[in-house]
Amino acid sequence: MRSYRTAYPFRWRVMDTLEMLARVLWPNRFSGAVPYLMLAPAVLLVLLLVIGMAQIADSSLHVLDRSTFLPSADFTLANYQTALRQPLYWMIIWRSLLGAAVVTLLSLIFAFPYAYLMVRTPSALLRKFLLIALFLPFFIGQVVRAYGWLIILGNQGVMNEMLGWVGIEPQRLLFNYPAVLFGLVQYMLPFAVLMLAPAITAIPEEIESAASSLGANWWRTFTHVILPMSKPGLVGAGLVVLTLSLTDFAMPAVLGGGSQDFIANAIYDQFFRTSDQGMGAALTLFLVGIGSLVVGVIFTVFGAGTLAMGRGKK
Amino acid sequence: MTGMTKSDGKQKAAVAVSVQNVNMTFDGFHAVDSASFDLDQGRFLTILGPSGSGKTTLLRMIAGFQKPSSGEIFINGAPVSAAPPHKRSVGMVFQKLALFPHMTAAENVAFPLKMRRFDATTIPERVQRYLDLVQLGSYADRRIHQLSGGQQQRVAIARALVFEPDLLLLDEPLAALDRKLREEMQLEFRRIQRELGVTTINVTHDQREALVVSDEVVVMDKGRIQQMASPTATYRTPANAFVAGFIGVTNFLNGTVKSTAGQEVIFAAGEREFIGHWSAAAGAPTVSANVVGALRAEQVRMATSADELGQCRTVLSAAVTDAIFEGERTAYEVTVGMDGNIIRVFDHDPAAHKQFGIGEAVFIGWNPQDVMIYPN
Amino acid sequence: MTKTKSTYALTRRRFLGSAAALGGLAATGWTGQAFAQEPEKPAEIIVRAWGGSWVASLQAGVSDPFTAATGIAVRHDLTEDNEIQPKVWAAVAQGRIPPIHINWDTTTNATKSALRGVTEDLSDLANLANTTELAKPVGLEGYPIVNTYGYVYVLAYRPSAFPEGAPTSLQVLLDPKFKGRIALYNDGIGFHFPAQVAGGGKLEDIPDNMDAAWSFIEKVKEQQPLLGEDPDFTNWFQNGEIDLAVTISTNAREAMKNGIELAWTVPEEGSKFETDGLWIPKGLPENELYWAKQYINFAISKDAQQVWLDGLGLPGVVPGLTPPEGLAGDPSYPTEPADFERLIRVPTAIQVEHESEWFGKFKAIMQG
Repeated sequence: MRSYRTAYPFRWRVMDTLEMLARVLWPNRFSGAVPYLMLAPAVLLVLLLVIGMAQIADSSLHVLDRSTFLPSADFTLANYQTALRQPLYWMIIWRSLLGAAVVTLLSLIFAFPYAYLMVRTPSALLRKFLLIALFLPFFIGQVVRAYGWLIILGNQGVMNEMLGWVGIEPQRLLFNYPAVLFGLVQYMLPFAVLMLAPAITAIPEEIESAASSLGANWWRTFTHVILPMSKPGLVGAGLVVLTLSLTDFAMPAVLGGGSQDFIANAIYDQFFRTSDQGMGAALTLFLVGIGSLVVGVIFTVFGAGTLAMGRGKK
Repeated sequence: MTGMTKSDGKQKAAVAVSVQNVNMTFDGFHAVDSASFDLDQGRFLTILGPSGSGKTTLLRMIAGFQKPSSGEIFINGAPVSAAPPHKRSVGMVFQKLALFPHMTAAENVAFPLKMRRFDATTIPERVQRYLDLVQLGSYADRRIHQLSGGQQQRVAIARALVFEPDLLLLDEPLAALDRKLREEMQLEFRRIQRELGVTTINVTHDQREALVVSDEVVVMDKGRIQQMASPTATYRTPANAFVAGFIGVTNFLNGTVKSTAGQEVIFAAGEREFIGHWSAAAGAPTVSANVVGALRAEQVRMATSADELGQCRTVLSAAVTDAIFEGERTAYEVTVGMDGNIIRVFDHDPAAHKQFGIGEAVFIGWNPQDVMIYPN
Repeated sequence: MTKTKSTYALTRRRFLGSAAALGGLAATGWTGQAFAQEPEKPAEIIVRAWGGSWVASLQAGVSDPFTAATGIAVRHDLTEDNEIQPKVWAAVAQGRIPPIHINWDTTTNATKSALRGVTEDLSDLANLANTTELAKPVGLEGYPIVNTYGYVYVLAYRPSAFPEGAPTSLQVLLDPKFKGRIALYNDGIGFHFPAQVAGGGKLEDIPDNMDAAWSFIEKVKEQQPLLGEDPDFTNWFQNGEIDLAVTISTNAREAMKNGIELAWTVPEEGSKFETDGLWIPKGLPENELYWAKQYINFAISKDAQQVWLDGLGLPGVVPGLTPPEGLAGDPSYPTEPADFERLIRVPTAIQVEHESEWFGKFKAIMQG
């Protein structure tokens, strides 16, 4: 007897078995509950987050009693008042916001050509190379990368050595604001590229040909057609980079030399250095508030971009 | 405009496009092989061919998206190979239309005017004029995704024409439409082209479209131009077996030449002998050359008895193996005698003729002038 | 932590096998208590420690000998002291078993935990009888913490940057030559009090009037100091980023071990003297608490201190230790009353109460 192995792939048999098992475990009459079941983990996760936020909100309302190092029992807004009254926090918030904005802008500017080349290059080899170069940093954690920059940009690092060859004295390249922004941009670039690539892929090449045949040179094609059509990707990538930068801890901590704290570093100090959970919680809620506000403004002005999942207004 | 004129001394329209010995090779593959043709001002040319025939590559070279490996293309007498697309005066309607989704219909149409630095004050009026031309005057402020497929076609046409290019290129823009809309748009293209008198090159694999819309048809296969002629001439006197087979439904009879007499050729196909004729396009065959006789399905007559086919010089007995009623015609397949050759037959007047059923014994017949002889 | 039968059997065997070793230890400082009443041994105890030469010294001087004697493995948890604190606090608050058995902590930080009531009392450790008064935490009842050594926030410097000899005053931090080449702890720890003197203020005014300290720190800020934590100082000296730092001498010693030429001094303004200690969080099972106490008891024995503090280069809490090579009489190694004259000690209670305010003020200046 002939066996028709090719006609019924092995994969289908596996699926049959799984479906049979699923039927035993979850009989058909329960099928109405399946969507809820699949939603459950997400709901649970959000619920946990909400509970956590509620606890943080609660601890922000208690001032630390330094004779017992326990939060005092009475509810008060003193932590918020203290935070608002300290110019230090205003300065750190401003530094974080400005830094996030600059990093977002630079990341998008640098990521766009990279993503564009990766999507459009006819060379499969180049595309693979660009993809690998993109994913490689993901295997190296953020902190390790920051330390890598310490080695490269240090006073005796490779960079200063090269400057030495052209007769430039060793420069302090680290431990300042630009160094933190540099580290952040380098860290965010892959995120931005990955968010931009699908948006660029979605622009048919024919559109670019059309623009060109209608009289646009490459620059005007870029500004009038490609850029506006990439808006969803730019907004999506911008949102991701902006929120990640705004809340970053490691780059300011490692590359800032201790004097370039972002909000997350200030929160860390309260929780872990001065053991003041109430103050840390108050600052945390500030960060959540500022982040939500910024994202809300972007949603309102630009739409949700790719994060609207194609349901946004076109 | 300094158009080239044909040097036969007579008053003729200027040549708008001249393709001269153009080649395109990718990695040793000859996508376009020594293509040459001239197209006069105001004419509508269709390049027809199967996919991979090189027709789109040729069009893209004319538009400027690809540079010929060798040869030169002239538009209004000027060589353009070195000019990028945006420096050419060529409007193009793309296969997938390539409308700008982030702009309204009017903005799409205004785009080439802005890019080509037209006087800004004249732009709105001109945009409206061209939207009116394609009967979309009241849709100016619609976004592209708010328009139907046919309306999007019209925006694409208006956008390609609004800057009054020397040449309009159509890259199979109708391929994705359903049949009814496609036929409607074919006529629309024709109307607009006549109204504006713009020289047009259309690319398609749809033979019917080529015949319906064009002043001239270029048939391409395997990178080479097979024939350039009017639609009638292309259909009636195909230059070779490929053209004969690509346009219309054609039966091919393979054989060896026994003798020739004037235009007539007697050739042997298996046990039988057939008579055909050679045309100027293909040239006269020599005795014992391998040839193929091309016989259009609609030229074959069919009857219950041989007597009814008295006017046919070739008559064969056959059996109906398939009969498909298609409304305006009936398409038959009949098997001839013992050798089992299948001949396709069209009856274009089913209402007036007797209809045959599967398995019926019939006679089929035709005349020598129906069989075009080509070298095989 | 769960203990299985098999590990129990194993530890029993180990116990029998190491009984002789324990006997030996008893003679050298290990006061093995009544053997018959010894509670069940845990498979391991977890000691939070600082990394680098800190943990290496602890392992050589305390952990390894403890394991050899008792058969109880010691695991070093290198979570930052600041980060373990809230975890321990949360565990105690929720009635869970704490994540560590022993916390090696700064006395100031440990005092916060003691005030919060999350520390076990260690007054019954036998070896406390042989310690100096440094071992006793000031201003707390009993021994919620046992101080194990003292240390000095010295002014460490690179001799090649000081051809005319060691700097004598903190004013050197304001020398334009060293702009961008000085380093402090990122919360200013160890620097607030000498800065009070350098700024022309009085130590007695701490904590009520520290304007002198802040104005001096503001001037130091103009010098663009690097701000970091213990490992950063070692790195910065090694990588040639800095010439001067107010840091614990141990960090400078670490860089010196790697071949970097460094020296330190106590400037005329004085240097802050501090202690570190060991403590046990509440909530451990009875037997584990017993063995954790034995660990600390051993850590303040003379033998353990000698090896451990040789590694750190710091003065211990047991009389008669031999100073490590080259540190006898060194300002970072105070032993005699005269040595302490140039060192600044501020009561722990004041530090605990005002530390976060000082840190905040320091940060506000430095982040500006």
